[in-house]
This record gives sequence, C-alpha cells and structure tokens, in this order.
Amino acid sequence: MTAFTINVIFAVFWVAVSGSASLLNLMLGFLVGAMSLGLIREQANGTSYLRRIGRILSLILLFFKELSLSAWRVAVLVTRPNMQLKPGIFAFPLTVDRDFEITLLANLITLTPGTLSVDVSKDRKRLFVHALDCSDVEAAKRDIAEGFERKILEAFR
Amino acid sequence: MIFAASFLNLAIWIGLALLSLSLLLTGWRVVRGPTLGDRVVALDMLVGIVLGFIAVIAIKTGFPLYIDIAIALGLVGFLATIAFARFILARGASEEAVRERQRLEDLHEERGGQA
Amino acid sequence: MNALITIITALLILSGSAFALIAAIGLNRLPDLFTRMHAASKAGTVGSGLLLLAAGLHADDFAILVRAVAGFVFFVLTAPISAHLVAMAAHKVGYKLDSRSVIDELAEDAS
Repeated sequence: MTAFTINVIFAVFWVAVSGSASLLNLMLGFLVGAMSLGLIREQANGTSYLRRIGRILSLILLFFKELSLSAWRVAVLVTRPNMQLKPGIFAFPLTVDRDFEITLLANLITLTPGTLSVDVSKDRKRLFVHALDCSDVEAAKRDIAEGFERKILEAFR
Repeated sequence: MIFAASFLNLAIWIGLALLSLSLLLTGWRVVRGPTLGDRVVALDMLVGIVLGFIAVIAIKTGFPLYIDIAIALGLVGFLATIAFARFILARGASEEAVRERQRLEDLHEERGGQA
Repeated sequence: MNALITIITALLILSGSAFALIAAIGLNRLPDLFTRMHAASKAGTVGSGLLLLAAGLHADDFAILVRAVAGFVFFVLTAPISAHLVAMAAHKVGYKLDSRSVIDELAEDAS
C-alpha cells in the first residue's frame, strides 16, 4: 500500500510541476509515477506494482463479467414457466484469512450467479453460502476457489 | 439524429411502464408478506425501483440534479435495510419459529391430556 | 457521436427497467426468503445501476458522469452487504428454508 501512496504523491507533484490541474493530467501523472516506480521495484526485487494493478484490474473485469452473467441467469430462471430449484446452504472452506479479503470474497460471491453469502463461522475458516442450485456442491466450491479466491490471492498477496 | 431522439423517447416511455409494473409487483410482495423478512427484502427492492424512476425522470426532464437525489436515496435505503436487519435480529425468534414452537407445545399438551 | 450516445442511453434504459421487472417477478415467484433475496440483490441492483448509468451518460457532462459512476459503484458495493445482513439475521432467528432445499450446513454448524 505504501507504493500506492508514493505513486499518488508522484502524481500530485506531476500536476504541480506541469501546472494544469485537470483530471486527465492527474491520471497521466499517476501513470508516469507508476512506470517510474515499476523501474525501481525491478531493482529492489519486489513484486511489480504494475503487475499488481493489472491483476486488480483483471479481478474487477471478472467481477463485472460475472455480475452481468448472474443477472442474466436469474432472469432466465425466473421467467421459465416451471422453476427447477434445489436451493441450500453449503459451507465453503476459506483459504484467505484477512478480514478485508474475506469481506471482498463474500461481496463478490453475493453478486455472482446463484450464490449469496449468509454468514462466516466464528473461527473464520468457513463461509456459509446460499445457492439456488445445490445439486453439485463440490463443483460450486471448486468454482469459487479457482475463480474469485485465486484472483484475490493473486491481487493482494 | 431524429431517429435517435424518438427512439430515446420511446425507450423512456417503455422504461417508465416496466418500472411501474415492477413497482406494483414489489408492492404486492410487501403487502402479502408473509413474514417480516420478505417485507424487508421487498422494501429494499422498492428503493431500487424508485431510484430507477428518478434516473429515468432525470433523463426525461434533463435535470442532472436528480442524480444526486438518487444517490442520496440509495444511501438512505441502504441504512434503512441495515436497521431492519438489526431489528429482525433484536426482535428474536421469527414468526415461523414461534408458530413451530406453539405447534409443538399444543401437541405436547394434547398428549399430556390423553395420558 | 451524439446520436450514438442517445441510442446507448435508450438501450440502457430498456435493459435496466427490464432487469427491475425481472427482479420484481422473481420476488413474487420464488418460494422462500433466501431465494427471493437472490432476485432482489442481483437483478435489482443491476437494473437500478444501469438506469443510473443511463442518466449519467445522457447528461453529456464529465463531472455528472463521474458522479453517476460513483453512485453505481456505491450501489454495487452496498447491495451485497445489506443482502448478507438480512440473510444472516433471518437465518439466526429461524426463518425456514423452502422444503425443496437439499442442504443446510449452517444449521448443522449452529446446533
């Protein structure tokens, strides 16, 4: 997170030095700052800041894709004349352990097709998820673990 | 350009009609219940639909100020739903749970009366 | 360019209100509280979000568009939180799942 703060400071400096305080210029300054930080980071042998931004962007992209898919799935289900439901609540074993990551994962699960996070167990090892289609619980668990959870781990670790 | 404007006009009217229909359907769920939880979910949904109405009206009248109103309404609706959720928790056992317990007690009494 | 924005706005209005209607139908057709929440929290959020985006796009002003996008992000962030809270509260005080439900590991955990 410190890299991000430094980058914001770089962007503010860029705006101050170039002397036009428009949003576009601030974004350009941020980009230049990110690139210069990326150059230094390579030498310091840390994870590349730019790559991390790329991963967060890909997480956001995946999220919007899943959200539109989810709304569509609910639409199809609801408008079908005879609804075939197998709802249920299953426990999803969490790999992420930080509060922030659990919150993010729970929110993402709620906005994805057919799943809604209900509660977290007291020891924060399991997330209880309500699903519209519980005919194959193992597959649903695998989907979450290999989709959002892996992406979150990539983006914030 | 003329085509685009008339298409937008048509879309606004269709959108208003669809939103009215969904407002009525959601209102029906609020009235019918059957439990407090269902009503809370329906009220939350009602806020979302009214928000959509405000957005469409903003387009129709051309006053962008309506967008701020929509955002403020969304905030209030969010807080209201949170408050309702806490209320459900604070009130304790649900209607269904109370009914179930009542049924079991009645059953128990009947058995006791026979014995 | 202007005509394109107008047409996109019209399409956003149509799809947004369609999603709102679908959410309302789902609210009436689905069997229990938890499944109804699926309809309200997903289709409902997407519906009002799309309408808000349409309003922001139609204003033809960057500042207003940014505000509309910020509002959209806000709704997308808050909808799952309120859905999660209501679901958690409902399950804790003992609302039953529909009889068609096949599994309830949370109830097993609580007992």
